[in-house]
Amino acid sequence: MNAMIMMIVVLLPMLSGVLIPLLPFKNRRQMLIYIEAMVILNSVLVFGMLMNRPEEAFTLFRFTGNLSVSFRLDGLGSVFAGMVSALWPLATLYAFEYMKHEGHEKYFFMFYTITFGVTLGIALSEDILTMYFFFEMLSLVTLPLIMHTLSREAILASRTYFYYMIGGAAFAFIGMIFILTYGTTLDFVPGGVLDLAKIGDKTDVILLVYVLCFCGFSVKTAMWPFSSWLPKAGVAPTPVTALLHAVAVVKTGAFTVMRVTYYSFGTDILRGTWAQYTVMILVIITIVYGCSRALKETHFKRRLAWSTVSNLSYILFGVVIMTPMGLKGALGHMLFHAVMKICSFFCAGAIMYKAGKHYIYELDGLGRRMPKVFIIFTISGMALMGVPGLCGFISKWNLAAAAVESQNLLAYVGVAALLISALLTAIYMLTISVRAFFPGKDFDYSTLRGIEDPNWMMMLSLIVFAAAMFVFGLHSGPVFTMLDEVVAVLK
Amino acid sequence: MNGWIILPMLLPAAAGIMLLVSSFLEHLRMTKRIKENTPVIVDEGEKKNLHYLVGIVLAITAVLVVWTAWSGERQLVLFYLMKEIPVYFHVDAVGRLFVTIVSIVWVAAGFYSFEYMKHEGEEKRFFGFYLLIYSVLIAQDFSGNLVTMYLFYELLTLVSMPLVLHNGSREAIMAGLKYLFYSMCGAYMGLFGIFFLYRYCSTLTFLPGGSLNPYLAEGNRGILLTAVFVMLIGFGAKAGMFPLHAWLPAAHPVAPSPASAVLSGVIVKAGVLAILRSVYYVVGVDFLRGTWVQTAWMTLTLLTVFMGSLLAYREPVMKKRLAYSTVSQVSYILFGLSLMTPDAMTGALLHTVFHAFIKCCLFLTAGVFLVQCRKRRADELVGIGKQMPVLLWCYTFASLALIGIPPASGFVSKWYLAKGALEAGVGIFGWFGPAVLLVSALLTAGYLLPITMKGFFPGEEAVVSEEKKEPPKGMLIPILVLAVLAVVLGIMPGGLLRYAGQIASACM
Repeated sequence: MNAMIMMIVVLLPMLSGVLIPLLPFKNRRQMLIYIEAMVILNSVLVFGMLMNRPEEAFTLFRFTGNLSVSFRLDGLGSVFAGMVSALWPLATLYAFEYMKHEGHEKYFFMFYTITFGVTLGIALSEDILTMYFFFEMLSLVTLPLIMHTLSREAILASRTYFYYMIGGAAFAFIGMIFILTYGTTLDFVPGGVLDLAKIGDKTDVILLVYVLCFCGFSVKTAMWPFSSWLPKAGVAPTPVTALLHAVAVVKTGAFTVMRVTYYSFGTDILRGTWAQYTVMILVIITIVYGCSRALKETHFKRRLAWSTVSNLSYILFGVVIMTPMGLKGALGHMLFHAVMKICSFFCAGAIMYKAGKHYIYELDGLGRRMPKVFIIFTISGMALMGVPGLCGFISKWNLAAAAVESQNLLAYVGVAALLISALLTAIYMLTISVRAFFPGKDFDYSTLRGIEDPNWMMMLSLIVFAAAMFVFGLHSGPVFTMLDEVVAVLK
Repeated sequence: MNGWIILPMLLPAAAGIMLLVSSFLEHLRMTKRIKENTPVIVDEGEKKNLHYLVGIVLAITAVLVVWTAWSGERQLVLFYLMKEIPVYFHVDAVGRLFVTIVSIVWVAAGFYSFEYMKHEGEEKRFFGFYLLIYSVLIAQDFSGNLVTMYLFYELLTLVSMPLVLHNGSREAIMAGLKYLFYSMCGAYMGLFGIFFLYRYCSTLTFLPGGSLNPYLAEGNRGILLTAVFVMLIGFGAKAGMFPLHAWLPAAHPVAPSPASAVLSGVIVKAGVLAILRSVYYVVGVDFLRGTWVQTAWMTLTLLTVFMGSLLAYREPVMKKRLAYSTVSQVSYILFGLSLMTPDAMTGALLHTVFHAFIKCCLFLTAGVFLVQCRKRRADELVGIGKQMPVLLWCYTFASLALIGIPPASGFVSKWYLAKGALEAGVGIFGWFGPAVLLVSALLTAGYLLPITMKGFFPGEEAVVSEEKKEPPKGMLIPILVLAVLAVVLGIMPGGLLRYAGQIASACM
């Protein structure tokens, strides 16, 4: 009975999402209250479930034989489920204000809410098949969100997105088939499920398949050379870019990679092989590449999107160190990056919404007009570049400590890449703040007439995130104690 | 009683933040007013109150700091940043020395700025950041482990950047960004080293002699040495060491003069402190002595010493010349540290103290030339001694001290640096180092003394007014005090010498 709740938290948002266009709401307000109530209810259920973790698995339905869609909650899944459930209500609240003038709200919120359920489905998957199923579904339900404005640019972007996702899923599928053939089970087991007797002398094939599978799942994480869809998808409304393209969707990619690396293939067979080096090189390239592109980019949201590309590969870097400490670092950055990047995206959104400025060179002097937003933006920038005292430093520290601990020469190069990327982050984030607060001596403020900070619905989430960056930055002990427990099963 | 450590950091920080908030609110009101086309009124009385407030906070903090530092050992774990890594403060001999220098310079330049900043505007913001930097510097000096020090090291960059940006011109903004990016680059290189030290040292807490774990380090010497070298280059950025020195001549001169004075006098010493702490208190000199890291480090510092002096010699703009001089002089200190002998380290510590006072004094003097005489370039300062004899005498004494002419202070420190070099057993560097220092001293005389000569002896054809116009007392007294310190410490170096000697012998 306890296990039923896993099905409920996955299906409830889907169901309530589908009902949004069907229910006869009297006015916009009623609809918003309904949506927020449902999202909060679901988040509360998720946290209730995390407090009181169901031990047994729950099977939703069977395809055939031992192929089934089933749920089970373990440590790794709890982290991911907890993260998205904490963020969704806040992001929804922000979206209410932001979407006021965008049109087609009903459909927007329908897909937005459904995505919540699908993401939780991935977090709770018991085996690789279920995860694959929700992984595909996630691509489909988020497609309309990118298309939302129906402009030519948006349609092109969604097409790119779709092609990348389908391609990625195909590679992931190959991995799944090999796990089915050479593994003892499809379930996620800490340490991996590969049956060495079955593999025999075909280790290299398995490694090749791992690399393919890794690349397939990493398409969602926008790893180089599959990263160009993410900045293009920045054409979507900001709540989508912030929550889905900085957290839910892209981190699903990272989460699935964690699953296949640590729970399906197993790190013992991978560590020290050419497969590890190949994926690590790709990841290191992405870390630097994303930052460099961010530096070159003048469109505000696209710059943040490139920054996401780079930061997501921090997470992947932690994963491909292939030690429990590496996974811990990766999870830490997954959590903290979520907070930092949503916050900076929301700031960008607030600026676009209130000032109508989309490019960085248009932001001169806005710091005086929207002081709260720009102060919070500066804090998030500092957190991203890893100023001690904010959360970015902690996650970077853990990643680097894991890399040094692993005594892998390529991982040392990765540490250097992390720091180069931090420097580039400082450049592309802080130049924005300097521009906004120090526009030059004879700047004419009258050109910015009537621009001011947004209302509480937008500010609330910004302030909560800014506070979270400080709290995690100054007192990270409890979070990492929890993560220690999560990765303890791998030892 | 350990809790007292935190008080001298909190007081200026709180006052600084209060000033910044109030300045920011004022700005918001002003932008609104511009919209309504009403003129902005500057209240003189309010300005005076501001000066009283800042003066009192500075004085109280300085007294508190000195008292905290010199009244015995104190330590305090504030909280745990991560598991096993606390934010930990510990007052030890080095911290005591640094914090005292910082306080003297800070108070002197602070009182000077009351008068000076009338010419620059935005006083509230300036003093807000001024106090904030003071508190960060105190915290850095009192830091008891590498991570705590790194935390305040990065904060220092962030809070001192606005001083460089102060006048808001395009040049200042570019210089500010340059400062930020060089410092960040340096800080991250330092962090790279810290990651490795965290793994290979038994603790990141500062212990004289270091705490490198020989069992872990065995077999990983190559990577560990590389990491330490990267760290040296990184922290060297803040100290203006080649190759990351280029920000210094751009950023220091563009700030208001009291800010340049503290940037050049003490903020660059944050880099020195970072290197000193990581080499002498975490890694330990035994590990580095005789390795390629030491050789490379010595080469870089000597290169910087020579290059800085040469560039200063060729530079016509007064404040820029002083900034290049800082590049050169701080590398004297780093050269002393790179030799890794007690005498050289004593010399380095002494030079840290003397250079702080001297350079601060020189920059404050240059500030007077700038606002009182409207003269930027050194060759315009003809006959200045006729108008401001006291000021120019101060300048001359400070210059003599920097060149190292006995009995002024620079002589003592350079003597120990040279002695240390000869004793260090570093082969060719043993005599080559002192030779470079000597050449650089000649160049120093070449770029500082012409101002004195032209100032007192303008020559026959120059038209110079003989009218006395000494700067206001508020500016002259701090300069005088610093110049006197620069000379007197050279005549009576005994106590300081013993103190530095003790620190050095404890580390070796």
